Amino acid sequence: MLRSLVFGLMLIPLTLVSAANAHGPTRQKVTETVEINAPAAKVWEVIGNFQDLNWHPAVEKTEGEGGNEPDKAKRTLTLKGGGQIHEALVKYNAKAHMMKYEITDVDVKVLPVKNYSSILKVEDEGDGKSKVTWRGAFYRGYMNNNPPPELSDEAAVKAVTGVYRGGLDELKKKLEAAG
Amino acid sequence: MLPLRPAVDGSSAVHNQGMRRSWRRLASLFAMQLSVAQTHRVVVLIATVFVLSLGPGASPLTAGGADAKTGRHEAVVTSQLAEKVSIVDLSTSKVTAEISVPGKPAGVALSPDRKIAYVTAPEAKDIAVIDIDARKILKRIPVGDGPLGIAVNPVRGAIYVADWYDHRVAIIDPKSLTVTGFVKVGLSPSGLAVTPDGKLLLSADRDSHQVSIIDTADLAVKQVVEVGKRPFGVTVNAAGTRAYTANVKSDDVSVIDIQNGKTVATVKVGRRPYAVALAGNNAFVTDQYAETISVIDLTDLKVTKKIDVGAYPEGIAADASGDYVYVACWEENTLERINTRTLKVENQVEVPDGPRAFGDFLR
Repeated sequence: MLRSLVFGLMLIPLTLVSAANAHGPTRQKVTETVEINAPAAKVWEVIGNFQDLNWHPAVEKTEGEGGNEPDKAKRTLTLKGGGQIHEALVKYNAKAHMMKYEITDVDVKVLPVKNYSSILKVEDEGDGKSKVTWRGAFYRGYMNNNPPPELSDEAAVKAVTGVYRGGLDELKKKLEAAG
Repeated sequence: MLPLRPAVDGSSAVHNQGMRRSWRRLASLFAMQLSVAQTHRVVVLIATVFVLSLGPGASPLTAGGADAKTGRHEAVVTSQLAEKVSIVDLSTSKVTAEISVPGKPAGVALSPDRKIAYVTAPEAKDIAVIDIDARKILKRIPVGDGPLGIAVNPVRGAIYVADWYDHRVAIIDPKSLTVTGFVKVGLSPSGLAVTPDGKLLLSADRDSHQVSIIDTADLAVKQVVEVGKRPFGVTVNAAGTRAYTANVKSDDVSVIDIQNGKTVATVKVGRRPYAVALAGNNAFVTDQYAETISVIDLTDLKVTKKIDVGAYPEGIAADASGDYVYVACWEENTLERINTRTLKVENQVEVPDGPRAFGDFLR
C-alpha cells in the first residue's frame, strides 16, 4: 500500500514533464543535404507533395488529407517494418520549393524524438543541378533528466540523421537514374 | 539556409533575405577551402560588406545605445549547441570573442556593474562566471540538477538560478560565489526577473502555469499568480509595476500587476512564444514556431505588428537606449537587430550554433 503510494507519487512529476514536452533537455538540430543532377523544379515534382513521402525508402505508405495547405494538411506515414508517424504541414511555398512540417504524434520506439519540426527545401544551383536540404529541430525522446541510452540526445540525432540520409541518398539515386 | 520569410515587411525585409542568401552561398563556397575559424571571419566580413552595400536608410552599420556604466555596447550570447558564449560588438556588428563553455549554455544575466556575465550550463549542472572584458571564465559554481533561467538583483547583486528539475530557485552570493540558499517554487521554474528596486524576484513556474513573487529580503514566496499555459520568459517593466510572461503552450502573453499579484490581461501572440523585451511603449515577443516578433502596444495591449525574423527566435532584450532590440535566432544562428522605431530588422550577425541568449544579455 505504502509502496504503491510512493511509486504513484514518483510517477506524478514524470507524467507532468512528459506532458510538458519542452525545454528541460537541450533542443537538437540536424541538417543533411544532397546535390542532385536535376533542376530544382524536377526534384520538387517528386518531393513537393506533402501527401506523398513514398519516395523515402523507409516509408510503406502515406495517407492524409488537406493537400498542401498549411495548418490544414495532415499525413500519417506507415513505415516498412511497422510503426506510424503523424505529421502536420505548417508552411508551404511551392515557388521557393520549401515546406515545413511537424510531428504531431509518434511513439518514441519508432522515432526517439519529441517536439520535432522539419524543413525540406530544394535550391536550384544552375547547370541543371540542385541542392536538397532537410533540416530538423527536436528534443530527445526522454524529457526528464538522465535519459536511458536509447532515448538520449545522441540517439535522437542519430535516428533523424539516418532518416534524412536514407531519404536524400535514395532520392538522388532515383532522379539521376531517371534523368 | 532559411531566409524564406514572406516579404510582408517591406523592402528592407527583401534586402535582408537577399543579403542572407547571397552571403550564405558565398560562405559555402569559401568553406571548402578555409578552416572553420577563417570561414567565420569571411562570413562576418561578407555580411558587413552586404550591409554597407544596401544603400541609404537600409542598414546603418553602427547603432547607438552604449551601456552607461561600461561605455560598451555588447551582447553576451549563449550558443547552446556550439557550447560557446560569444561577445558581439553591437557598434560594429562583429563577433569579437568566443568563450568555450562546456555544458550547453542557455541562460545569461549580467552583474549590476555590467562587467560579469553569469551563464547557466544545464548539462554541466553549474553556472559559469565570466569576466566579460577579460573574456574568460572566473569560476564555475555547481547548482542543482537543471539550472536554466538566471537573474541578478540589480541592487544587492545576488544571483538567482531557476532549477528546472529541482523546482526551486538557488541564491548565489556575488562575493563568495557560493550557493547560500534556495526558495521552493512551482514546477520547472524557467525565466526569472527582478524588480528594479531589487525587492521582488519573479519566477515563471512553467509546469505550474504560474508566476511566484518572492521577497528578496526574507526569500519568502509572497504571492502566486496564475498566468497562461506554460510560462517561460518573464520580464519586469522599468517602473517595477508590471510583468509580462511568454506562455509557450497557450501562445499568449500574460500581463501581471505586480503590486496586486494578479493577471490583468492576456494578449494572443504567434506560436510558441519564448521571451519578452520591453522598449518604449511596446513589448517585443519572440514567437519560436511562427518565426516572428509580435509587437504589443502596451497601452492598448494589442499586437500591432509581426516582424519576420530568423527561424526559432528565442532570447530577446532591449539595449540601454531603447532604440534597438536584439534577438537570438536559435535555428538561424543569428543575432538580429530590430529598430524599435521603424519595427524592422536592420541586420543579422552570424553567431555560433544554437544561440539562445535567454535572459539579460546586453550591455
